[in-house]
Amino acid sequence: MTPVLEIAHITKRFDGKTVLDDVSLTIDKGEIKVIIGPSGAGKSTFLQSINFLVKPDSGTIHLNGLPVNPKDKKALYGYRQQVGMIFQDFNLFDHLTARANVEIGLVRVRGMKKAEARKRAEAELDRVGLSEHMKKYPAELSGGQKQRVSIARALAMDPQVMLLDEPTSALDPELIGEVHAVISGLGKAGMTMIIATHQIGFARALASEIVFMERGRILEQGSPQKLLSPDCTTRAREFCSQILDANGEDR
Amino acid sequence: MFLNGFIAVKEGLPYIIQGALVNVVVVIGALLLGCSIGLPMAIGQVYGGRMLRRIIGVYVWFFRGIPLLVLLFLFYFGLFSFLGLNLSAFAVAVIVLGLISSAYQSQVIRGAILSIPDGQLKAARALGMSDARAVFFIILPQALRLSIPGWSNEYAIVLKDSAVTYALGVAEMMARANHVASRTYQHLHLYIAAGLIFMALTYIGTKALNIAHNRLKIPGYTQ
Amino acid sequence: MKKRIVALVICATMVIGFGLASAAAGDKVFINGMDANYPPVSFIDAKGQPDGLDIMAANWIAKEMGFTVKHQPTDWAAIIPSLKAKKIDFIASGMSVTPERKEQVNFTKSYHQTIMMLVAKKGTDWNTEKAMKEGTRWGVQRGTSEAHWIEDNLLKAGKKFTLQQYDSAPLAMEDILNGRIDVCSVSKTSADEFIEKGMPIQILGRYGQPDDETAYAVRKEDTELLNMLNEGLDRLMATPYWQELKDKYGVK
Repeated sequence: MTPVLEIAHITKRFDGKTVLDDVSLTIDKGEIKVIIGPSGAGKSTFLQSINFLVKPDSGTIHLNGLPVNPKDKKALYGYRQQVGMIFQDFNLFDHLTARANVEIGLVRVRGMKKAEARKRAEAELDRVGLSEHMKKYPAELSGGQKQRVSIARALAMDPQVMLLDEPTSALDPELIGEVHAVISGLGKAGMTMIIATHQIGFARALASEIVFMERGRILEQGSPQKLLSPDCTTRAREFCSQILDANGEDR
Repeated sequence: MFLNGFIAVKEGLPYIIQGALVNVVVVIGALLLGCSIGLPMAIGQVYGGRMLRRIIGVYVWFFRGIPLLVLLFLFYFGLFSFLGLNLSAFAVAVIVLGLISSAYQSQVIRGAILSIPDGQLKAARALGMSDARAVFFIILPQALRLSIPGWSNEYAIVLKDSAVTYALGVAEMMARANHVASRTYQHLHLYIAAGLIFMALTYIGTKALNIAHNRLKIPGYTQ
Repeated sequence: MKKRIVALVICATMVIGFGLASAAAGDKVFINGMDANYPPVSFIDAKGQPDGLDIMAANWIAKEMGFTVKHQPTDWAAIIPSLKAKKIDFIASGMSVTPERKEQVNFTKSYHQTIMMLVAKKGTDWNTEKAMKEGTRWGVQRGTSEAHWIEDNLLKAGKKFTLQQYDSAPLAMEDILNGRIDVCSVSKTSADEFIEKGMPIQILGRYGQPDDETAYAVRKEDTELLNMLNEGLDRLMATPYWQELKDKYGVK
């Protein structure tokens, strides 16, 4: 089976500082890989380099076995349609309603007719439980609702893989649950996902594999059970236990 | 004797108000010209390469730095001498005011674009939008709405500047007030009348833009 | 939103195009550059139409010689550049013939003599001798032959009064009443008009400037127009209408 994404040897330097140091990751269809690690580890930068929002200095990416050439603009845009992204700050288009946010990619990128796009947008918003809010503007929505809209927006493009960059870090604690529910639902439906998060409990429950990053490198990779078991004495375990304690969660 | 002033104003008012119409047309033409040049320039300054940004910088510096009157005469007489281009005073007024306005408008729009969080562009790109589409469908609709207060300011300024075009012989309000005053010798009353009309026009225009701003505002936007 | 932008751009282009179109003059239309602030010679009447001795004369000549004339209010200080830049075709607005101007333009025959006078506020004890002294404040219209004459022949010759330049003769005369200047140099016709409207000024008399010949001006290369205007003037001055006009506008 060809992996959906093969990310190989990504390196990125900002102002002389190495932010990503030879990072590689492969993900198969249906897998959910969760990246954890301290702030500044490069999790966000790594995710954004996967869809070339950040241009890597070196490294290659293969989608379904075919190389992606970021210099070919058309190919790049096509590739990005296949890779959905969810941002920590939601980044909904402020001047458009929730429904229009979901429609715009369909109409302006995939060239769908407005009526068809509308139907699809309403269906996606229904799927994330926001039908009654579809005519609201982003500023009128709660954080959790905004993130769910952004998930609907990404899903409408029928991506092959979703990248979620700390999807609940900007949310009030009581809103985290609704977003986690949606993401879990996606996972159960078989969506391939790479998620960066600080929510260890969530990660443990959802992930097929945990990836621990620190200072621009992947230090450890493994199943949640293996990496997070009480017997483990690795750096990952150390990091997680600190967070779990802080959150008052069960080890 | 004092009454003569009011009589002069009353008699000359229709003639002067026709001039006010000329001012308004000149201003609208200039603002539209300013926008159609200023908008691409703003985009060029934010998203363009270094060479482009430098050229635009020189343009903005030129039109903001030279006094209006000098530019008016330069275009009215100079263009004829150098290019054989004979433009009417009205056309020169619209063009010069428009070019100057484009320099200022480009900075207003540029500021508006820069104030939009860069996450907007990132999200657009992540969906697979080309940069051109992202700017046109995501950035500009927001930037233009944010620019409306700046346009309000620009309208008031260009309206006042349009009075200067009397120096070229444009039959606008100041020139006409002068014509009536030369016949009736009531300069003070007539200038006051013209001034009041300018103030009324300023009020109407900025009020209209205010209404437009409120209509087009993005609900809940707190920027 | 996109459609609105397109519509606005089209409107802008139309406004400019309209302006450009208005620059193209027709065939037998000649544009007279007039000082719109020089009653009774050339001014705008209560209905907003050009009026005055020279305007009516030009209208008559145009009708007689078979062309259309349009009167274009022009800033006097820029009137010769406007003529040379083909914004206007001739100047019939009480223009004085001077040697410097003859270098730039051609003049028709003279139809009037402009007598320059010094005026002051009524009830004051100014006279032309006192006016030449240091400290006196003179007013004059900018860009006129009298302004140049005063500069060349009085100020450069050592006279120490201050000279204030104004956009028009009426403005200068009004400033005497405001008290900002003491005397000003205007044509006798302007002064008479001002007095007739009830303004309290008195004419002090000539101050040394020779009387000017007044004529129409054309570009040096427009010999055909020059001939036409000369012929028209001849015919006009031979009719009783000419005296009628002069009486009507109080010009002697």
